[in-house]
Amino acid sequence: MPQLGQAALVLCLGLLGYAAIAGATAAYTRKRRLALSASNALIASFGAAVVASIVLAAALLRHDFAFTYVADHTSRKLPTLYTLSAFWGGQEGSLLLWLLILTGYSAGAVLLNRRSAPDLVSWVVPILGALGTFFAFLLVAVASPFSTQLAPADGSGLNPSLQNPYMLAHPPCLYLGYVGLTVPFAFAMGSLLARRSDERWIVSTRRWTLVAWTFLGVGQLLGAHWAYVEVGWGGYFAWDPVENAALMPWLAATAFLHSVMVQEKKGMLKVWNMLLVILAFSLSLFGTFLTRSGILSSIHSFTESSIGPWFLGFIAVVAAASIALVLSRLPILRSETKLESPISREASFLYNNLLLVALCLTVLWGVVYPLLSEAVTGTERVVGPPYYNFFLRAFGLPLLLLMGLGPLLAWRRASVKGLRRSFLWPTIVALATGAVLLAFGAGSSIPGLIAYTFSAFVLATIVEEFVRGTAARRATAGEPWATAFTSLVARNRRRYGGYVVHASIVLLAIGIAGSSAYDTVRQATLRPGQTLSAAGYTVRYASTGWREHRAQNAIEGRAPMTVTHDGHPDGTLEPGRNFYPAEQQASSEMAIGRNWLRAEDLDLVVQRVSPRSQAIELKMLVKPLVNFIWIAGFVFLAGSLIALWPDAREQRRLALRYREAGAVVRA
Amino acid sequence: MGRTGNPARLAIALAVAGCLAVFLLYTSFFGGGRPALQPSALRQHPGQEVTLSGMVARRLPSVGAAARFRLRDVKGSDAVTVSYRDGLPDQFKVGRDISVDGRYANGVFVGKPGTMVTKCPSKYTDKKTT
Repeated sequence: MPQLGQAALVLCLGLLGYAAIAGATAAYTRKRRLALSASNALIASFGAAVVASIVLAAALLRHDFAFTYVADHTSRKLPTLYTLSAFWGGQEGSLLLWLLILTGYSAGAVLLNRRSAPDLVSWVVPILGALGTFFAFLLVAVASPFSTQLAPADGSGLNPSLQNPYMLAHPPCLYLGYVGLTVPFAFAMGSLLARRSDERWIVSTRRWTLVAWTFLGVGQLLGAHWAYVEVGWGGYFAWDPVENAALMPWLAATAFLHSVMVQEKKGMLKVWNMLLVILAFSLSLFGTFLTRSGILSSIHSFTESSIGPWFLGFIAVVAAASIALVLSRLPILRSETKLESPISREASFLYNNLLLVALCLTVLWGVVYPLLSEAVTGTERVVGPPYYNFFLRAFGLPLLLLMGLGPLLAWRRASVKGLRRSFLWPTIVALATGAVLLAFGAGSSIPGLIAYTFSAFVLATIVEEFVRGTAARRATAGEPWATAFTSLVARNRRRYGGYVVHASIVLLAIGIAGSSAYDTVRQATLRPGQTLSAAGYTVRYASTGWREHRAQNAIEGRAPMTVTHDGHPDGTLEPGRNFYPAEQQASSEMAIGRNWLRAEDLDLVVQRVSPRSQAIELKMLVKPLVNFIWIAGFVFLAGSLIALWPDAREQRRLALRYREAGAVVRA
Repeated sequence: MGRTGNPARLAIALAVAGCLAVFLLYTSFFGGGRPALQPSALRQHPGQEVTLSGMVARRLPSVGAAARFRLRDVKGSDAVTVSYRDGLPDQFKVGRDISVDGRYANGVFVGKPGTMVTKCPSKYTDKKTT
């Protein structure tokens, strides 16, 4: 079996190498048969990656400890689903997952575009082949999941922190996002190599970019929820370097998704879009480098690995080559029009881009600051949450406001009459919301108050857009309200899907502001029968004390607590701690009391237990509005799906546009 | 963008300049981070808030609600006593790498509650040589 897995990897490497070399030769010499052969090799590499992945998955499920990887990351007592999740729980397996996704995306992107844009795809194939070759080479020569050993009786097990249902979804989601950014990058570079000045590469990759961006966003929210329910400190994002590594490419991709609209509509920002797609892709590689190099201290803590220098070299080559390519093609990337007014739709997209990129770069600065400060001053210095929170407010609040302003501004130039018509009601709603919140004491946090006022403004503009659009459709087509609404969204999926995504960002802002600016934390040592109170809640540790029982792979200890709110019974909660004998490790199990009416969570964390006295050290957190963050995740997904959903009308329109225009090739 | 001057160009330049100014102001006023040290370098920074990293050498008896332990350089023998008045992370144990914010005074490093992070060694370890 390990030989089969290794052979599949070697075959995959060969196919990808062939796709890179033969594809480049074919594109340069314009040999169609050779180009077809190269693209077929790229598609076949996916099959080889699938075989290698099946071999590893089978070894995991069979507990075949002759595979060093299986012995290092699983044990016989590990539940089946977590055994399977060990596929991406270690370095070699996660690299194989990366290769599997990369070859899968590559095959899909080539199959879907090679008929409609053959000259573009002929350059995309060697780029995807070259990128895949790097990962296949790492798996074959540096970090193979198929190395073998004399099988031990049992494996080392999986880190208890990773024994969580979120482990099944969070890493694959992030990988689908990171790797997905390869497709727009390859098409952008392919477009430059083919000397095309049109927007064909954007049209070909818009959905791929959206898919990658959606997975990155959902993956981060899943990770945040995992941290919230499992890690037991009551937070969901710690500005840790590895968390930042996922945030940065998402921010760059968000900027890119907005700025490509300006290029499609006005033929502007061509160089900027190229730079953004390079930035997003390079940051996705940089994130992978961070998790594997051990170069920075992280809560996700990855020890030093021989793979780091390979990644660093790869990032340097990719960034240098792609920037050199952009510079060499500057003459064909000139804008077709220019900005006519600073108050226009395209200008608002520009401001949005500047703020997103500024936020992305300040996060990057914070991540690399320890390395730079050590290189310059000899003393490593770090920046903590205050640094990031400062810039989140400085750039995030104007971004929030722009989400309401931008979509309602006219292209080219906004008129005073148009501004009044669009923004009168949202402004009144926002000011009224701010005044009411101030009256109810929300002024204790000025950034929180501003965030809520801006959120009300944005939500009002979104509602206004939906109402106006539906009313107009009802008036012209004579449809009932519900039909008018659905056909409005169905006929403008990209636009209204975008509004739904904006609504999700508003919910996210409300959740973050509420749970971070207005939360309450108490901590105390409780003996059985004692109580602790915070923000109207009182919890009482049951007089029966600490309870323990043996589960499949852990000893589970729980502290039964009765909860009252303002003197009224409010249920029971059981925070506790699990001990994993195979891994010789404990983990705290936070209990969450979710109240939808009060829109807040009561979180209880047992930090320490004294077995003799049964005393527990209890942390009690009250988190207002934190659930808006998780609701935002569903709304975000819904908005993305609306924007992604295939639209036959749009396809026909685009096909006609590119047939009429022809391929603008400046050879 | 077009090459001729226009109000948008000015607005963009101002926005970029504003962002840079905010950044410079922040780094000027807030000092641009704190030193990240190992125990061997700690004595040169008494009283200053730093991030201390190292390996847990051994546990010491708790004093009141504060957990105490010896932390040593990851690749060295210099060590310091750390006092930490908060719940220890789940991954905390002897032999594990940790980092914690706090100040060094009177021979003891007093950790700031809620700032300790531990490394999790079972994930992404380098390939073993057998």
